[in-house]
Amino acid sequence: MPSQPPLPHLLTPYISTPPRESLTAVSSVVGATGNWLILRFLYAALTDAGLRGVEGERKRKVVLGLDLARLTERREFAFVDGLSELFCGPTASAPSRAPSQHLASGPTPRTTLPTRPHPGITSLRQPPPPSAGSDGPPQITKDAGQVKRLRLSGNGAAALDALERDITAVIKQLKASGLGEDEESEVSLIVDQPDLLLAATGPSKGIGATEMAEWIIGLQQAATATVATISADSPLIHNASASAHHIATPLETEHAAFAIGLAHRAEMVMQLRNLETGAARDVSGVLRVSKGGAWGQRDSAGQETWEEKEVLYFVQRDGSVSVFGRGE
Amino acid sequence: MAPSSLSHRQTHNLLLISKLLSLRDTASPLTLLLDSLEQPATPLIKEYIRRARLSKVHVTLIAFEALKPYDGVDAFVPARRKAPTEIMREVAAAYKPDSSNSPNRRRLILIDSINPLLHSTRLDRSFHLSSFLSSFIVPSGPTTSKPDTSLVVTFHQDVPGRPAQSPYTPSPLSLLTYLATTVIKLHSFSHILAQKAARDRSLVPPVFGLEEEQDGVLLGRLDKPVGKGTEAGGVVLEMEYRRKSGRGVLEWYLLPPASKYPATQLKEIVTLLDDHPLYRPPEDLGDANGDEEPESTFELRLTERQRRDREGVVLPYFDAQQGNGPGEGGRILYDMGEEDDFDEEEDEI
Repeated sequence: MPSQPPLPHLLTPYISTPPRESLTAVSSVVGATGNWLILRFLYAALTDAGLRGVEGERKRKVVLGLDLARLTERREFAFVDGLSELFCGPTASAPSRAPSQHLASGPTPRTTLPTRPHPGITSLRQPPPPSAGSDGPPQITKDAGQVKRLRLSGNGAAALDALERDITAVIKQLKASGLGEDEESEVSLIVDQPDLLLAATGPSKGIGATEMAEWIIGLQQAATATVATISADSPLIHNASASAHHIATPLETEHAAFAIGLAHRAEMVMQLRNLETGAARDVSGVLRVSKGGAWGQRDSAGQETWEEKEVLYFVQRDGSVSVFGRGE
Repeated sequence: MAPSSLSHRQTHNLLLISKLLSLRDTASPLTLLLDSLEQPATPLIKEYIRRARLSKVHVTLIAFEALKPYDGVDAFVPARRKAPTEIMREVAAAYKPDSSNSPNRRRLILIDSINPLLHSTRLDRSFHLSSFLSSFIVPSGPTTSKPDTSLVVTFHQDVPGRPAQSPYTPSPLSLLTYLATTVIKLHSFSHILAQKAARDRSLVPPVFGLEEEQDGVLLGRLDKPVGKGTEAGGVVLEMEYRRKSGRGVLEWYLLPPASKYPATQLKEIVTLLDDHPLYRPPEDLGDANGDEEPESTFELRLTERQRRDREGVVLPYFDAQQGNGPGEGGRILYDMGEEDDFDEEEDEI
């Protein structure tokens, strides 16, 4: 099979220019995971300045996702590890408030699944990211290799607030280390599977769907554009619905409320699922891009127009992905 | 339906929806919008705001979901991480009635989604939804110049709620529908058309999105799933208005897409769903006007003259009753008409 472009053409309009202050929800199921799509988001964001002339000198940066060492050194990318030490308990006392604090010293927690096995990592590294990262202040560059690890401590909204402070601190550093101009650089935030935190805590710890949604709102306010991934497997979504004939567990109720609420707040919802007709050798799954509940809320002026679409995708053995319409 | 009662219904119910959406006479203090991922309430909320701006109504948005205010909102109250009392205080502070100038300026308060509040773990037992909502409408103090306030609350039907603490407490949705003076349920027009097409063929109506219960599907909506034309845009409003007498008015309306009319349009743009050509094609109406006779290749009807002639025929038993003697009555009396052709020979046989 011919080698695929790192960014499939059919996907380009959907992932390359997330509008400002927007939320994009990516839902996936066990049989059709979203790793490859998140990598495409990263790729689109990190090569952005090269692709688009509109934004001029401003650059988008991405927090979370993969350990892209070189980008991290250039302060164009930061990875916050939300899994490794999330439940290791509190170590330090004072939560990091100052953005200038060292990345590794912050005590608090945050959520997201960690680095995943990377089908697309090679393609991400191919195009050198655009220049101008090198003039960041040296004292920040010093910490560049450090990965922020989140730790959850306490209960309820206070625990989430601490996580939020840690992440916003990283975002602020990225913003500040931009081009040395007055203008702050734009930061895209990818929150990978925050439902883990919800599942691991739950309403008995004071963290429910509402608290999680408010936490996402808080992160959204710090970043320029936000992408959040979430599981949408049937038991997690449908067991809690009114048509189910048994009492739903708190996990099912909270997850369904969080996931559906996220789709209500998102401008774009990208849904990954298995092929209805069963497994196929040359199709990995179906991607449906729909307008979320928040689509159309902002002023119509300047709003990018895109069409809802359903396509098939195939992740090849080398990690490259082809995206095509049905029957093509 | 008889044409007169249809036109009466049209006039009456269009006036009603116009009054409700334009917030005239505080026709509905508490309006509940029931939306879903398949048809979010955004277009209707924008329509409320558009009309409020035209009639200079003060608009407050209590945002549990939105990051930024909608276009045209006068006061924006983000409700993230706030206690209900705090929200109430901020909303009250957001609008000071200007006693000197226009004391009776009306006010519209929008809640972009009540679900996060109902689902919050922070609510204590002292929180009562009814008193929370009524605090926005009913004047709390002895102030006389409280403006006429209309409250519009959005509820996402597809977001599951938390099981009630006590088995005897009603679910928040039951409580909201009980309190509301108007309930508007939103549907996507293209879905309504698809379901009607299925029903017309006696098929099971299709379901969309979450109701499909398909693994991995949150949203079924695609731009043009049915009726490829661009006409199928728009929002169907299933309205239930409760009068003060307690009687309810039920009606289905269609709100066209905002791109179809200018933002300053004053004329009513909402129509009855039954009046839409895609929902009720015009040929159906033609049938109702026609005659009840079944169609056939034979002419089964009588002309006026034929009917008169038929009525003039004296049937044999009338003649028999005259009693001119046995054998006399019962003759077949026949008057020759001009079109009759008397055949001598045949008569003799």
